[in-house]
Amino acid sequence: MRLSDIEEKLRAGVPLDFHDGVALFHYPDILEVGRLANQVREKLHGQRTYFNRNLHINATNVCVASCRFCSFARLKPGDPGAYTMSLEQAWQRLRDRMTVGKPVTEIHIVNGLHDGLPFSYYTDLLAGLKRIHPQVHLKAFTAVEIFFFHQHYGMSVADVLGQLCAAGLDSLPGGGAEIFAERVRRKVCPDKCDAAEWMDVHRTAHRMGLRSNCTMLYGHIETVEERVLHLLQLRDLQSETGGFQTFIPLAFHPDGNALQKLPAPTGIEDLRTFAVARLVLHNIPHVKAYWVMLGLKTAQTAQWFGADDLDGTVQEERIYHMAGADTPQGLALSELVHLIEQAGRLPVERDTLYNVVAEGEALLPKRPFRRPLPVVREAET
Amino acid sequence: MTASVRVAAPPLLSARPLTFGIESGAVPGFELSWADAETCARQLEEGTVALALLPTTHYLGLAFDARVVPAIAATVDAPISSTFTEELTLAPLPDDAQGWLRRTGLPFVSLVWVGHADAVDLNRAAGLARSLGLGLSRLRDLARDHMAKHGGSLLDGEAFLAGLSYRLGARELAGLAAFVEQAHAMHGVPRRASIRLFDYAFLPEKPQAVVWPRAAGAAQPSLDSVLADAAAGERLSPDQALRLHEEAPLLDLGYAADQRRQSLHPSNLVTYIIDRNVNYTNLCVTACKFCNFYRPVSKSPKPEGGSDVYLSRDSDGYTLSRARLAQKFYETVSLGGIQILLQGGVNPNLRLSYYEDLFRWIKANFPLALHALSPEEVSFIAKLEGLSIGKVLERLVAAGLDSLPGGGAEILDDEIRRRISPLKCSTDTWLAVMREAHALGLRTTSTMVFGFGENPGHIVRHFERLRALQDQTSGFTAFICWPFQAEGTRLKLSDDTSAHRYLRTFALSRLYLDNIPNLQVSWPTMGPSIGQVALRFGGNDFGSAMIEENVVSQAGAVFSLSAADIERCVTHAGFVPRRRNMRYELLPESGAAGPVRVHSPAAA
Repeated sequence: MRLSDIEEKLRAGVPLDFHDGVALFHYPDILEVGRLANQVREKLHGQRTYFNRNLHINATNVCVASCRFCSFARLKPGDPGAYTMSLEQAWQRLRDRMTVGKPVTEIHIVNGLHDGLPFSYYTDLLAGLKRIHPQVHLKAFTAVEIFFFHQHYGMSVADVLGQLCAAGLDSLPGGGAEIFAERVRRKVCPDKCDAAEWMDVHRTAHRMGLRSNCTMLYGHIETVEERVLHLLQLRDLQSETGGFQTFIPLAFHPDGNALQKLPAPTGIEDLRTFAVARLVLHNIPHVKAYWVMLGLKTAQTAQWFGADDLDGTVQEERIYHMAGADTPQGLALSELVHLIEQAGRLPVERDTLYNVVAEGEALLPKRPFRRPLPVVREAET
Repeated sequence: MTASVRVAAPPLLSARPLTFGIESGAVPGFELSWADAETCARQLEEGTVALALLPTTHYLGLAFDARVVPAIAATVDAPISSTFTEELTLAPLPDDAQGWLRRTGLPFVSLVWVGHADAVDLNRAAGLARSLGLGLSRLRDLARDHMAKHGGSLLDGEAFLAGLSYRLGARELAGLAAFVEQAHAMHGVPRRASIRLFDYAFLPEKPQAVVWPRAAGAAQPSLDSVLADAAAGERLSPDQALRLHEEAPLLDLGYAADQRRQSLHPSNLVTYIIDRNVNYTNLCVTACKFCNFYRPVSKSPKPEGGSDVYLSRDSDGYTLSRARLAQKFYETVSLGGIQILLQGGVNPNLRLSYYEDLFRWIKANFPLALHALSPEEVSFIAKLEGLSIGKVLERLVAAGLDSLPGGGAEILDDEIRRRISPLKCSTDTWLAVMREAHALGLRTTSTMVFGFGENPGHIVRHFERLRALQDQTSGFTAFICWPFQAEGTRLKLSDDTSAHRYLRTFALSRLYLDNIPNLQVSWPTMGPSIGQVALRFGGNDFGSAMIEENVVSQAGAVFSLSAADIERCVTHAGFVPRRRNMRYELLPESGAAGPVRVHSPAAA
């Protein structure tokens, strides 16, 4: 395979095909692949790297599904470690957050599939959060949850989305896509909605004017070909609706779940997946590095392999930490800004819809005092 | 440089990498003529040339006290099969280069640059090194050119050139000395009193002030051309390095370093070692501000007739007993370890005799190589005993020391050292210990820790000091760098210690340190992911499946990897993992001997 063929296609604006994608996954020189992805990234976003300030709420981990890669799901209420927040508890999370620093611009809500809650739990949850912080953007419920609501409460997907929107829903997160291939889903997440159903939820949401994100869980039992097909399916839906904002590759984390015999993907595999995604998904504007899962070091490096977004100052994150992620649970704004600047990029705080909230001096009004030593060249002394 | 120096070389394929830069005109100051080895030797004796590339046999036959250019030569250090091996003449000894390797276990030195005492100075030595550097990046072209003139198989010729080694370091000099001995003993070849190297090699006690050339007003070459030249093996000037440090984008720097790594290590192997980091004591008087490991001492009243005794001020100060050490060493051997990295605090209770006894005891009881005592420890022992550094090293070697770790370098610049570790050995002392060690035939590693608020100039000066010493001694086997792990230390800094800076600094070191063969990635501090990525930024060694580590793990670095993890990282990066020893010699393939899978306790 010659990379120059792919380079030629990129230059001419021709979408890459299945074979290109597979070839990029197999191409030995990761730096070459990274260079191409970086060109696309810089063409789209220049030196900017986006982040946002958000709050994660996982209101319950009770779940009727038992996905083999998940260390978070607990089957039944009352099982050791299982929890369900009262609405008051969930709202309190936001109230607590409102008292420190600048308020968050987004709340990210992902839950287990709890079969013992009324639908009003979810609408009340959203409405209550909006009451506390009317400007906040609510990015809530993966397609898997929406589809579960549709089945469990006997409403159409459009109905579910409509009622949630009325309660305050603004957009959908991209989780639950895993790998679309039927072979893989049967093995690792047999209880989840299938690829067509996942797509359908997003298609419906996009038609209702909601934006959403999309993901891929890689590094478990899937093949390279299945990864590329997954990306192409996302790209096809995007060319139909244009509703996806961001693609987020999610690395499989092995600890504490039923697939723990599998090793986690290595750093080069992570960076390559970012780069290939950036190259194949020409019509999805953003590629996000979720540092809670990648680690700060790999996430920082991913900014040169196609990623233009680092997931925000996450206050508390439960799902990946139950799977052994050893990254800090929260990151101060200044740390994140430095992480981006140290990689030679320009940090830009965005809201959920990628409107600029702050950049440049406005990001950190008070910079920590740091005096660099002057550069002394001996020839000059 | 003023006048050109006349040099002669035989038209052998194995000579071409050494002469390439001169031939191609890229390295000025030399006027090269080709002649067969016999004629080259005669011209040298007659003085029609000042310098010649000679087969070892011809060097021995010279009628005057000729000097050898250190650091570079054509040598055989691993079996090669090729029709060109007949170039490697061992006359008058009966065997061939392979036989020599088998019999002596030492490299066979095939071609050396030899000349009159005034023929080579530092500048010319640098020119010769550059000539080789350029040649090494074009082995295929050299083979092709040679075949066009003399016939033969291109593949065979290329494999021959790739199979040779081009180092003349302590080990190779030992091989050369053994050859002189045997040629004398078996065949009465007149024995040279000693192999004399050009004087410049050991002269400067203090490294000469580095003159950083800067062409005033000259048009700057593009960043790309500087990177391309560096990738092809051109030596970087400090100014060029500063420019790359400031301006080169991450992936471009990585790409150039990756190219350089490929031409230095075309075999696609990535090596690692199984050893154990044993910190025999944590009592220390150096009190570096960046260290979480050490425990301070205070002097206690001198016992009647005894020497001073220092006690730990904390309850967890320790010096390991023989029993504890023995247990650690047994574990190491049973886990497949082949080496002990023995380092500790600078403990004033421990005299030279302690180390001599300890080393003898280790060597008598355990089949382990001893990679022990960083320059700070060695120089402290010398001070304590009132002996020279050379004498201390000699006695330690006699007791069983095999090699020196390159720790304690931090930033080799006294401006920084005074700030972070005022009591630690100076830049000059650190370099002097390494110089003495290399002169004794020890190989050592070299390190750099960055993130102490130093500026790019300090980093480049650090590189320059290592490269200049390596030009003289060829004693460094490897370079390892990592960012300062600040958690919980007394040093309150907000310097950049990110992965991005690590990868850039690491790639730049691969380009600048053109004479240090191996670059080790630092996964204990950077984590396995970035450690693996660094293999594409110039690294060719994954360090050690460490059974124990006590220093950086006290300052926030918490990674651990088994040999199986390491092999997986290496394989997924597209390389073939192989175990090595401290000298970077390959061990038999895993599975052929010894336990195959090793798990560190932390991972198990």
